[in-house]
Amino acid sequence: MKLLANSWKFVRSALLLALACAVVVLILPSKARSQLGLDPCCAIISAGLESISGLLKDVVAKPLASIQQIEQQSADFERQVVWPVTAINQARGLALQAQGQFMQMRQLFQVPVSSATLPTPQQLEQSLLSRNPGSVAQISNNYSSLYGPAVAQTDAPQPVRDLVDMTDAAAQAAMKRAVEIDALADLELQAAEQINQQLQNATPGSAPILEAQTSAWLMRANAYTQSAMAELIRVRSIELANQGAQLKFSTSHAGTLHSTGGQVLQQGVQ
Amino acid sequence: MRKISAGWRNLRFGATGKRLVAVIAIGLILAPVGAQAAGLGDILSLIKTITSTLQKAVGGVLSDIQTVNSEINKFRQELVWPLNEINQARAFVSATRARYTGLMSQIQSIKNNSANLANPRQLESALRGGQAGGMGQFQQVYAQVYAAVPQSNAAKPMQRDMMDIDDALAMDSLKTTIVSDQATQNLLSLADSLDQQSASAAPGSAPLLTAQARVTDLVTQAQLAKMLAAELRQEAAKLAHQNALLRQSASATRNLQNQMQQVLKHP
Repeated sequence: MKLLANSWKFVRSALLLALACAVVVLILPSKARSQLGLDPCCAIISAGLESISGLLKDVVAKPLASIQQIEQQSADFERQVVWPVTAINQARGLALQAQGQFMQMRQLFQVPVSSATLPTPQQLEQSLLSRNPGSVAQISNNYSSLYGPAVAQTDAPQPVRDLVDMTDAAAQAAMKRAVEIDALADLELQAAEQINQQLQNATPGSAPILEAQTSAWLMRANAYTQSAMAELIRVRSIELANQGAQLKFSTSHAGTLHSTGGQVLQQGVQ
Repeated sequence: MRKISAGWRNLRFGATGKRLVAVIAIGLILAPVGAQAAGLGDILSLIKTITSTLQKAVGGVLSDIQTVNSEINKFRQELVWPLNEINQARAFVSATRARYTGLMSQIQSIKNNSANLANPRQLESALRGGQAGGMGQFQQVYAQVYAAVPQSNAAKPMQRDMMDIDDALAMDSLKTTIVSDQATQNLLSLADSLDQQSASAAPGSAPLLTAQARVTDLVTQAQLAKMLAAELRQEAAKLAHQNALLRQSASATRNLQNQMQQVLKHP
Protein backbone atom coordinates (compact mmCIF):
# COMPACT_ATOMS: atom_id res chain seq x y z
CA MET A 1 0.00 0.00 0.00
CA LYS A 2 2.80 2.30 0.99
CA LEU A 3 4.63 1.41 -2.24
CA LEU A 4 1.52 2.28 -4.23
CA ALA A 5 1.22 5.64 -2.48
CA ASN A 6 4.85 6.43 -3.17
CA SER A 7 4.53 5.48 -6.81
CA TRP A 8 1.48 7.73 -7.18
CA LYS A 9 3.34 10.57 -5.54
CA PHE A 10 6.26 10.13 -7.99
CA VAL A 11 3.99 9.98 -11.03
CA ARG A 12 2.16 13.11 -9.82
CA SER A 13 5.40 15.04 -9.42
CA ALA A 14 6.60 14.00 -12.88
CA LEU A 15 3.32 15.10 -14.45
CA LEU A 16 3.43 18.47 -12.70
CA LEU A 17 7.03 19.01 -13.85
CA ALA A 18 6.14 18.17 -17.43
CA LEU A 19 3.20 20.57 -17.27
CA ALA A 20 5.39 23.34 -15.94
CA CYS A 21 7.95 22.81 -18.74
CA ALA A 22 5.16 22.96 -21.30
CA VAL A 23 3.91 26.26 -19.86
CA VAL A 24 7.41 27.75 -19.98
CA VAL A 25 7.95 26.63 -23.57
CA LEU A 26 4.62 28.15 -24.52
CA ILE A 27 5.53 31.44 -22.89
CA LEU A 28 8.87 31.69 -24.77
CA PRO A 29 8.52 33.73 -27.98
CA SER A 30 8.63 31.98 -31.31
CA LYS A 31 11.56 32.76 -33.71
CA ALA A 32 11.89 36.46 -34.70
CA ARG A 33 11.60 37.62 -38.19
CA SER A 34 14.85 39.01 -39.62
CA GLN A 35 14.80 42.80 -39.78
CA LEU A 36 17.50 43.01 -42.48
CA GLY A 37 15.97 40.91 -45.08
CA LEU A 38 15.14 42.02 -48.56
CA ASP A 39 12.92 44.73 -47.25
CA PRO A 40 12.11 47.94 -49.15
CA CYS A 41 13.73 50.00 -46.37
CA CYS A 42 17.19 48.42 -46.85
CA ALA A 43 18.22 50.94 -49.51
CA ILE A 44 17.60 53.83 -47.12
CA ILE A 45 19.48 52.06 -44.35
CA SER A 46 22.34 51.31 -46.71
CA ALA A 47 22.53 54.97 -47.72
CA GLY A 48 22.55 55.97 -44.08
CA LEU A 49 25.36 53.56 -43.28
CA GLU A 50 27.36 54.78 -46.27
CA SER A 51 26.90 58.30 -45.00
CA ILE A 52 28.25 57.26 -41.59
CA SER A 53 31.15 55.48 -43.24
CA GLY A 54 31.96 58.58 -45.29
CA LEU A 55 31.80 60.73 -42.20
CA LEU A 56 34.10 58.37 -40.32
CA LYS A 57 36.60 58.67 -43.17
CA ASP A 58 36.39 62.45 -43.57
CA VAL A 59 35.64 63.74 -40.12
CA VAL A 60 37.43 61.16 -37.98
CA ALA A 61 40.08 59.32 -39.97
CA LYS A 62 41.56 62.33 -41.77
CA PRO A 63 42.10 64.52 -38.67
CA LEU A 64 43.42 61.48 -36.82
CA ALA A 65 45.93 60.84 -39.60
CA SER A 66 46.90 64.48 -39.54
CA ILE A 67 47.30 64.40 -35.74
CA GLN A 68 49.39 61.28 -36.07
CA GLN A 69 51.58 63.02 -38.64
CA ILE A 70 52.03 66.08 -36.43
CA GLU A 71 52.82 63.90 -33.43
CA GLN A 72 55.33 61.90 -35.45
CA GLN A 73 56.96 65.07 -36.74
CA SER A 74 57.06 66.48 -33.21
CA ALA A 75 58.56 63.27 -31.85
CA ASP A 76 61.17 63.21 -34.63
CA PHE A 77 62.05 66.84 -33.94
CA GLU A 78 62.46 66.19 -30.23
CA ARG A 79 64.51 63.05 -30.82
CA GLN A 80 66.77 64.60 -33.44
CA VAL A 81 67.04 68.24 -32.40
CA VAL A 82 66.04 68.70 -28.78
CA TRP A 83 67.16 65.50 -27.06
CA PRO A 84 69.43 63.60 -29.41
CA VAL A 85 70.71 60.46 -27.69
CA THR A 86 74.21 60.95 -29.14
CA ALA A 87 74.62 64.39 -27.56
CA ILE A 88 73.23 63.14 -24.25
CA ASN A 89 75.65 60.21 -24.23
CA GLN A 90 78.53 62.50 -25.11
CA ALA A 91 77.69 64.72 -22.15
CA ARG A 92 77.58 61.65 -19.90
CA GLY A 93 80.94 60.60 -21.32
CA LEU A 94 82.35 63.96 -20.31
CA ALA A 95 81.17 63.32 -16.74
CA LEU A 96 83.09 60.03 -16.83
CA GLN A 97 86.20 61.81 -18.07
CA ALA A 98 85.80 64.49 -15.39
CA GLN A 99 85.55 61.81 -12.71
CA GLY A 100 89.07 60.68 -13.49
CA GLN A 101 90.38 64.23 -13.38
CA PHE A 102 88.61 65.00 -10.10
CA MET A 103 90.14 61.92 -8.53
CA GLN A 104 93.56 62.92 -9.81
CA MET A 105 93.18 66.45 -8.39
CA ARG A 106 92.00 65.11 -5.03
CA GLN A 107 95.05 62.86 -4.86
CA LEU A 108 97.27 65.79 -5.81
CA PHE A 109 96.03 67.81 -2.85
CA GLN A 110 96.71 64.84 -0.60
CA VAL A 111 100.41 64.74 -1.54
CA PRO A 112 102.30 65.27 1.75
CA VAL A 113 103.85 68.74 1.91
CA SER A 114 105.17 68.66 5.49
CA SER A 115 108.72 70.04 5.74
CA ALA A 116 109.64 70.72 9.38
CA THR A 117 112.80 68.99 10.65
CA LEU A 118 112.84 69.62 14.42
CA PRO A 119 110.47 67.82 16.84
CA THR A 120 108.52 70.82 18.19
CA PRO A 121 107.89 72.43 14.80
CA GLN A 122 107.04 68.99 13.42
CA GLN A 123 104.31 68.57 16.03
CA LEU A 124 102.72 71.92 15.21
CA GLU A 125 103.05 71.34 11.49
CA GLN A 126 101.47 67.89 11.79
CA SER A 127 98.42 69.41 13.49
CA LEU A 128 98.24 72.25 10.99
CA LEU A 129 98.34 69.97 7.94
CA SER A 130 96.17 67.22 9.44
CA ARG A 131 92.94 68.30 7.66
CA ASN A 132 91.34 66.84 10.77
CA PRO A 133 89.09 69.09 12.91
CA GLY A 134 89.72 66.69 15.80
CA SER A 135 93.30 67.91 16.03
CA VAL A 136 92.28 71.56 16.46
CA ALA A 137 92.35 71.11 20.24
CA GLN A 138 96.07 70.24 20.14
CA ILE A 139 97.06 73.37 18.25
CA SER A 140 97.15 75.67 21.31
CA ASN A 141 99.55 73.33 23.15
CA ASN A 142 101.76 72.82 20.11
CA TYR A 143 101.75 76.56 19.49
CA SER A 144 102.79 77.39 23.06
CA SER A 145 105.53 74.77 22.95
CA LEU A 146 107.01 76.46 19.92
CA TYR A 147 106.36 80.19 20.35
CA GLY A 148 106.41 80.26 24.14
CA PRO A 149 103.69 80.51 26.79
CA ALA A 150 101.77 83.63 27.80
CA VAL A 151 104.00 86.39 29.19
CA ALA A 152 104.22 86.28 32.99
CA GLN A 153 103.05 89.29 34.98
CA THR A 154 106.61 90.02 36.12
CA ASP A 155 108.10 89.80 32.65
CA ALA A 156 106.31 92.66 30.89
CA PRO A 157 104.00 95.60 31.55
CA GLN A 158 100.25 94.92 31.25
CA PRO A 159 99.76 96.67 27.85
CA VAL A 160 102.50 94.50 26.33
CA ARG A 161 101.04 91.34 27.88
CA ASP A 162 97.62 92.23 26.43
CA LEU A 163 99.13 92.81 23.02
CA VAL A 164 101.03 89.53 23.06
CA ASP A 165 97.99 87.59 24.24
CA MET A 166 95.72 89.12 21.58
CA THR A 167 98.25 88.41 18.85
CA ASP A 168 98.72 84.81 20.00
CA ALA A 169 94.94 84.38 20.03
CA ALA A 170 94.58 85.71 16.48
CA ALA A 171 97.44 83.53 15.20
CA GLN A 172 96.10 80.39 16.88
CA ALA A 173 92.54 81.03 15.68
CA ALA A 174 93.80 81.45 12.13
CA MET A 175 95.74 78.19 12.35
CA LYS A 176 92.64 76.39 13.69
CA ARG A 177 90.48 77.91 10.95
CA ALA A 178 93.02 76.73 8.35
CA VAL A 179 92.61 73.12 9.57
CA GLU A 180 88.82 73.46 9.45
CA ILE A 181 88.87 75.00 5.97
CA ASP A 182 91.07 72.14 4.76
CA ALA A 183 88.63 69.58 6.20
CA LEU A 184 85.65 71.37 4.65
CA ALA A 185 87.41 71.52 1.29
CA ASP A 186 87.99 67.74 1.47
CA LEU A 187 84.27 67.21 2.07
CA GLU A 188 83.43 69.49 -0.84
CA LEU A 189 85.72 67.49 -3.10
CA GLN A 190 84.09 64.25 -1.96
CA ALA A 191 80.62 65.69 -2.59
CA ALA A 192 81.68 66.91 -6.03
CA GLU A 193 82.87 63.42 -6.96
CA GLN A 194 79.64 61.87 -5.73
CA ILE A 195 77.49 64.34 -7.64
CA ASN A 196 79.62 63.75 -10.70
CA GLN A 197 79.05 60.01 -10.38
CA GLN A 198 75.30 60.66 -10.42
CA LEU A 199 75.78 62.87 -13.44
CA GLN A 200 77.22 59.95 -15.41
CA ASN A 201 73.76 58.33 -15.42
CA ALA A 202 71.69 61.50 -15.36
CA THR A 203 69.09 62.44 -17.93
CA PRO A 204 68.19 65.87 -19.30
CA GLY A 205 65.30 65.80 -16.83
CA SER A 206 67.33 64.88 -13.76
CA ALA A 207 70.42 66.97 -14.54
CA PRO A 208 68.81 70.26 -13.41
CA ILE A 209 68.12 68.63 -10.02
CA LEU A 210 71.80 67.74 -9.68
CA GLU A 211 72.69 71.22 -10.86
CA ALA A 212 70.48 72.72 -8.17
CA GLN A 213 72.17 70.54 -5.56
CA THR A 214 75.61 71.54 -6.82
CA SER A 215 74.58 75.19 -6.71
CA ALA A 216 73.65 74.75 -3.06
CA TRP A 217 77.05 73.18 -2.41
CA LEU A 218 78.71 76.04 -4.24
CA MET A 219 76.91 78.57 -2.10
CA ARG A 220 78.12 76.69 0.96
CA ALA A 221 81.67 76.59 -0.43
CA ASN A 222 81.55 80.32 -1.09
CA ALA A 223 80.37 80.92 2.45
CA TYR A 224 83.31 78.91 3.85
CA THR A 225 85.72 80.75 1.57
CA GLN A 226 84.25 83.99 2.83
CA SER A 227 84.82 82.89 6.42
CA ALA A 228 88.44 82.05 5.55
CA MET A 229 88.83 85.48 3.99
CA ALA A 230 87.42 87.05 7.15
CA GLU A 231 89.98 85.13 9.22
CA LEU A 232 92.77 86.29 6.93
CA ILE A 233 91.64 89.88 7.26
CA ARG A 234 91.56 89.50 11.04
CA VAL A 235 95.15 88.24 11.07
CA ARG A 236 96.33 91.10 8.89
CA SER A 237 94.36 93.63 10.95
CA ILE A 238 95.95 92.38 14.15
CA GLU A 239 99.35 92.66 12.47
CA LEU A 240 98.59 96.27 11.54
CA ALA A 241 97.26 96.99 15.01
CA ASN A 242 100.48 95.58 16.49
CA GLN A 243 102.59 97.91 14.38
CA GLY A 244 100.48 100.84 15.58
CA ALA A 245 100.72 99.72 19.19
CA GLN A 246 104.48 99.33 18.99
CA LEU A 247 104.77 102.86 17.62
CA LYS A 248 102.64 104.08 20.52
CA PHE A 249 104.80 102.18 23.03
CA SER A 250 107.96 103.63 21.46
CA THR A 251 106.55 107.15 21.73
CA SER A 252 105.64 106.56 25.34
CA HIS A 253 109.04 105.04 26.11
CA ALA A 254 110.79 107.97 24.39
CA GLY A 255 108.75 110.40 26.52
CA THR A 256 109.61 108.53 29.70
CA LEU A 257 113.28 108.36 28.74
CA HIS A 258 113.28 112.06 27.94
CA SER A 259 111.82 113.09 31.30
CA THR A 260 114.00 110.60 33.25
CA GLY A 261 117.11 111.81 31.41
CA GLY A 262 116.12 115.40 32.17
CA GLN A 263 115.74 114.61 35.85
CA VAL A 264 119.11 112.83 35.96
CA LEU A 265 120.84 115.75 34.24
CA GLN A 266 119.19 118.26 36.58
CA GLN A 267 120.39 116.25 39.62
CA GLY A 268 123.90 116.21 38.12
CA VAL A 269 123.89 120.04 37.69
CA GLN A 270 122.74 120.61 41.27
CA MET B 1 20.47 36.01 0.77
CA ARG B 2 19.81 34.42 4.12
CA LYS B 3 16.33 35.97 4.20
CA ILE B 4 15.51 34.55 0.74
CA SER B 5 16.77 31.15 1.84
CA ALA B 6 14.67 31.30 5.04
CA GLY B 7 11.58 32.45 3.11
CA TRP B 8 12.01 29.61 0.65
CA ARG B 9 12.19 27.10 3.50
CA ASN B 10 9.06 28.59 5.14
CA LEU B 11 6.89 28.23 1.98
CA ARG B 12 3.87 26.04 2.64
CA PHE B 13 4.24 24.06 -0.56
CA GLY B 14 5.36 20.49 -0.73
CA ALA B 15 8.64 19.56 -2.37
CA THR B 16 6.88 19.08 -5.70
CA GLY B 17 5.21 22.46 -5.41
CA LYS B 18 8.51 24.12 -4.67
CA ARG B 19 10.12 22.45 -7.70
CA LEU B 20 7.22 23.63 -9.85
CA VAL B 21 7.60 27.20 -8.65
CA ALA B 22 11.35 27.03 -9.28
CA VAL B 23 10.95 25.76 -12.85
CA ILE B 24 8.40 28.47 -13.67
CA ALA B 25 10.61 31.17 -12.14
CA ILE B 26 13.70 30.01 -14.07
CA GLY B 27 11.68 29.83 -17.25
CA LEU B 28 10.37 33.31 -16.79
CA ILE B 29 13.85 34.62 -16.11
CA LEU B 30 15.23 32.96 -19.21
CA ALA B 31 12.36 34.02 -21.43
CA PRO B 32 13.25 37.19 -23.41
CA VAL B 33 10.97 40.09 -23.11
CA GLY B 34 8.97 40.66 -26.14
CA ALA B 35 11.10 42.55 -28.69
CA GLN B 36 9.47 45.49 -30.26
CA ALA B 37 10.33 45.65 -33.92
CA ALA B 38 12.13 48.89 -34.75
CA GLY B 39 10.43 50.92 -37.42
CA LEU B 40 12.12 52.64 -40.39
CA GLY B 41 11.61 56.04 -38.79
CA ASP B 42 13.46 54.95 -35.69
CA ILE B 43 16.39 53.64 -37.77
CA LEU B 44 16.61 56.88 -39.72
CA SER B 45 16.50 58.86 -36.49
CA LEU B 46 19.32 56.73 -35.10
CA ILE B 47 21.45 57.21 -38.22
CA LYS B 48 20.85 60.95 -38.04
CA THR B 49 21.94 61.01 -34.40
CA ILE B 50 25.12 59.05 -35.22
CA THR B 51 25.88 61.35 -38.16
CA SER B 52 25.35 64.43 -36.09
CA THR B 53 27.53 63.08 -33.27
CA LEU B 54 30.31 62.24 -35.72
CA GLN B 55 30.15 65.64 -37.38
CA LYS B 56 29.85 67.85 -34.34
CA ALA B 57 31.05 66.09 -31.22
CA VAL B 58 33.79 63.83 -32.64
CA GLY B 59 34.78 65.81 -35.73
CA GLY B 60 34.80 69.13 -33.92
CA VAL B 61 36.96 67.86 -31.07
CA LEU B 62 39.38 66.12 -33.42
CA SER B 63 39.67 69.27 -35.46
CA ASP B 64 40.43 71.26 -32.29
CA ILE B 65 43.04 68.68 -31.20
CA GLN B 66 44.62 68.89 -34.64
CA THR B 67 44.79 72.69 -34.40
CA VAL B 68 46.24 72.64 -30.87
CA ASN B 69 48.82 69.98 -31.77
CA SER B 70 49.81 71.90 -34.83
CA GLU B 71 50.19 75.12 -32.82
CA ILE B 72 52.23 73.41 -30.08
CA ASN B 73 54.48 71.89 -32.69
CA LYS B 74 54.93 75.22 -34.40
CA PHE B 75 55.57 76.92 -31.06
CA ARG B 76 58.27 74.38 -30.16
CA GLN B 77 59.97 74.44 -33.53
CA GLU B 78 59.77 78.17 -34.18
CA LEU B 79 59.92 79.76 -30.74
CA VAL B 80 61.33 77.40 -28.11
CA TRP B 81 63.86 75.36 -30.06
CA PRO B 82 64.27 76.94 -33.48
CA LEU B 83 66.90 74.94 -35.32
CA ASN B 84 68.46 78.11 -36.77
CA GLU B 85 69.00 79.60 -33.34
CA ILE B 86 70.40 76.34 -32.01
CA ASN B 87 72.86 76.15 -34.87
CA GLN B 88 73.75 79.82 -34.43
CA ALA B 89 74.47 79.22 -30.74
CA ARG B 90 76.68 76.25 -31.64
CA ALA B 91 78.49 78.33 -34.21
CA PHE B 92 78.94 81.10 -31.63
CA VAL B 93 80.49 78.62 -29.18
CA SER B 94 82.87 77.38 -31.86
CA ALA B 95 83.78 80.93 -32.91
CA THR B 96 84.37 82.11 -29.33
CA ARG B 97 86.44 79.02 -28.69
CA ALA B 98 88.53 79.62 -31.78
CA ARG B 99 88.97 83.29 -30.93
CA TYR B 100 89.90 83.11 -27.26
CA THR B 101 91.08 79.63 -26.28
CA GLY B 102 94.39 79.74 -28.10
CA LEU B 103 95.08 83.26 -26.94
CA MET B 104 94.34 82.44 -23.32
CA SER B 105 96.41 79.30 -23.54
CA GLN B 106 99.35 81.32 -24.87
CA ILE B 107 99.05 83.85 -22.03
CA GLN B 108 98.82 81.06 -19.46
CA SER B 109 101.90 79.34 -20.84
CA ILE B 110 104.13 82.44 -20.69
CA LYS B 111 107.13 81.65 -18.50
CA ASN B 112 107.54 84.13 -15.68
CA ASN B 113 110.85 82.78 -14.39
CA SER B 114 113.07 85.73 -13.50
CA ALA B 115 115.94 84.49 -11.32
CA ASN B 116 119.49 85.00 -12.59
CA LEU B 117 121.74 82.96 -10.31
CA ALA B 118 122.04 79.19 -10.33
CA ASN B 119 120.44 78.31 -6.98
CA PRO B 120 117.48 80.71 -7.23
CA ARG B 121 116.95 79.58 -10.83
CA GLN B 122 116.77 75.98 -9.70
CA LEU B 123 114.31 76.84 -6.93
CA GLU B 124 112.23 78.98 -9.24
CA SER B 125 112.15 76.24 -11.80
CA ALA B 126 110.90 73.77 -9.18
CA LEU B 127 108.31 76.30 -7.99
CA ARG B 128 106.92 77.10 -11.41
CA GLY B 129 107.23 73.66 -12.94
CA GLY B 130 103.74 72.65 -11.88
CA GLN B 131 104.84 69.06 -11.31
CA ALA B 132 103.98 67.65 -7.90
CA GLY B 133 106.09 64.58 -8.70
CA GLY B 134 109.31 66.58 -8.34
CA MET B 135 108.57 67.83 -4.84
CA GLY B 136 110.90 65.30 -3.21
CA GLN B 137 113.95 67.44 -3.98
CA PHE B 138 112.24 70.68 -3.11
CA GLN B 139 113.54 70.88 0.47
CA GLN B 140 117.14 70.56 -0.71
CA VAL B 141 116.70 73.19 -3.42
CA TYR B 142 115.03 75.52 -0.90
CA ALA B 143 117.85 75.07 1.59
CA GLN B 144 120.40 75.96 -1.11
CA VAL B 145 118.84 79.42 -1.32
CA TYR B 146 117.51 80.06 2.18
CA ALA B 147 120.06 77.95 4.13
CA ALA B 148 119.32 75.11 6.49
CA VAL B 149 118.39 75.52 10.14
CA PRO B 150 121.65 76.10 12.11
CA GLN B 151 123.09 73.32 14.24
CA SER B 152 122.09 73.17 17.89
CA ASN B 153 125.32 74.77 19.02
CA ALA B 154 124.88 77.72 16.67
CA ALA B 155 121.51 79.06 17.89
CA LYS B 156 119.16 78.90 20.83
CA PRO B 157 116.56 76.10 20.75
CA MET B 158 113.66 78.53 20.46
CA GLN B 159 115.31 80.39 17.61
CA ARG B 160 115.99 77.12 15.82
CA ASP B 161 112.37 76.04 16.30
CA MET B 162 111.09 79.31 14.92
CA MET B 163 113.42 79.17 11.94
CA ASP B 164 112.31 75.61 11.29
CA ILE B 165 108.58 76.35 11.48
CA ASP B 166 108.97 79.46 9.32
CA ASP B 167 110.81 77.44 6.71
CA ALA B 168 108.35 74.58 7.02
CA LEU B 169 105.27 76.72 6.53
CA ALA B 170 106.89 78.64 3.69
CA MET B 171 107.78 75.35 2.00
CA ASP B 172 104.32 73.87 2.69
CA SER B 173 102.72 76.83 0.99
CA LEU B 174 105.16 76.73 -1.92
CA LYS B 175 104.50 73.02 -2.39
CA THR B 176 100.76 73.72 -2.25
CA THR B 177 101.21 76.22 -5.07
CA ILE B 178 102.96 73.53 -7.15
CA VAL B 179 100.06 71.15 -6.52
CA SER B 180 97.62 73.93 -7.30
CA ASP B 181 99.37 74.73 -10.59
CA GLN B 182 99.08 71.11 -11.67
CA ALA B 183 95.42 71.01 -10.65
CA THR B 184 94.88 74.24 -12.59
CA GLN B 185 96.09 72.47 -15.73
CA ASN B 186 93.55 69.70 -15.12
CA LEU B 187 90.78 72.25 -14.60
CA LEU B 188 91.71 74.11 -17.77
CA SER B 189 91.71 70.87 -19.71
CA LEU B 190 88.28 70.02 -18.31
CA ALA B 191 86.98 73.50 -19.12
CA ASP B 192 88.25 73.06 -22.67
CA SER B 193 86.44 69.72 -22.99
CA LEU B 194 83.24 71.34 -21.71
CA ASP B 195 83.64 74.17 -24.20
CA GLN B 196 84.20 71.69 -27.00
CA GLN B 197 81.12 69.67 -26.01
CA SER B 198 79.03 72.84 -25.85
CA ALA B 199 79.75 73.43 -29.53
CA SER B 200 77.90 70.25 -30.45
CA ALA B 201 75.40 70.19 -27.59
CA ALA B 202 71.65 70.01 -28.00
CA PRO B 203 69.06 71.79 -25.85
CA GLY B 204 68.51 68.45 -24.14
CA SER B 205 72.16 67.72 -23.40
CA ALA B 206 73.02 71.27 -22.30
CA PRO B 207 71.61 70.79 -18.77
CA LEU B 208 74.01 67.86 -18.32
CA LEU B 209 76.93 70.04 -19.38
CA THR B 210 75.75 72.87 -17.14
CA ALA B 211 75.57 70.50 -14.19
CA GLN B 212 79.05 69.26 -15.06
CA ALA B 213 80.34 72.82 -15.10
CA ARG B 214 78.77 73.49 -11.71
CA VAL B 215 80.38 70.37 -10.23
CA THR B 216 83.75 71.47 -11.62
CA ASP B 217 83.11 74.90 -10.15
CA LEU B 218 82.61 73.24 -6.76
CA VAL B 219 85.93 71.44 -7.13
CA THR B 220 87.60 74.74 -8.00
CA GLN B 221 86.09 76.38 -4.93
CA ALA B 222 87.34 73.55 -2.74
CA GLN B 223 90.85 73.93 -4.15
CA LEU B 224 90.67 77.68 -3.69
CA ALA B 225 89.71 77.06 -0.06
CA LYS B 226 92.78 74.87 0.33
CA MET B 227 94.95 77.66 -1.04
CA LEU B 228 93.32 80.09 1.37
CA ALA B 229 93.99 77.68 4.22
CA ALA B 230 97.67 77.63 3.24
CA GLU B 231 97.73 81.42 3.19
CA LEU B 232 96.03 81.52 6.59
CA ARG B 233 98.65 79.17 8.04
CA GLN B 234 101.39 81.32 6.59
CA GLU B 235 99.96 84.61 7.84
CA ALA B 236 99.29 83.12 11.26
CA ALA B 237 102.87 81.86 11.48
CA LYS B 238 104.13 85.30 10.46
CA LEU B 239 102.06 86.90 13.23
CA ALA B 240 103.19 84.27 15.72
CA HIS B 241 106.80 84.90 14.76
CA GLN B 242 106.45 88.67 15.28
CA ASN B 243 104.71 88.06 18.55
CA ALA B 244 107.43 85.70 19.75
CA LEU B 245 110.00 88.39 18.95
CA LEU B 246 107.96 90.95 20.88
CA ARG B 247 107.76 88.55 23.81
CA GLN B 248 111.52 88.00 23.71
CA SER B 249 112.06 91.73 23.40
CA ALA B 250 109.83 92.43 26.42
CA SER B 251 111.66 89.82 28.41
CA ALA B 252 115.05 91.19 27.32
CA THR B 253 113.98 94.75 28.21
CA ARG B 254 112.86 93.60 31.66
CA ASN B 255 116.22 91.83 32.17
CA LEU B 256 118.11 94.90 31.03
CA GLN B 257 116.06 97.08 33.36
CA ASN B 258 116.80 94.79 36.31
CA GLN B 259 120.50 94.68 35.49
CA MET B 260 120.69 98.47 35.14
CA GLN B 261 118.97 98.92 38.48
CA GLN B 262 121.51 96.59 40.04
CA VAL B 263 124.38 98.50 38.40
CA LEU B 264 122.97 101.83 39.63
CA LYS B 265 122.56 100.46 43.14
CA HIS B 266 126.27 99.47 43.26
CA PRO B 267 128.25 102.32 41.59
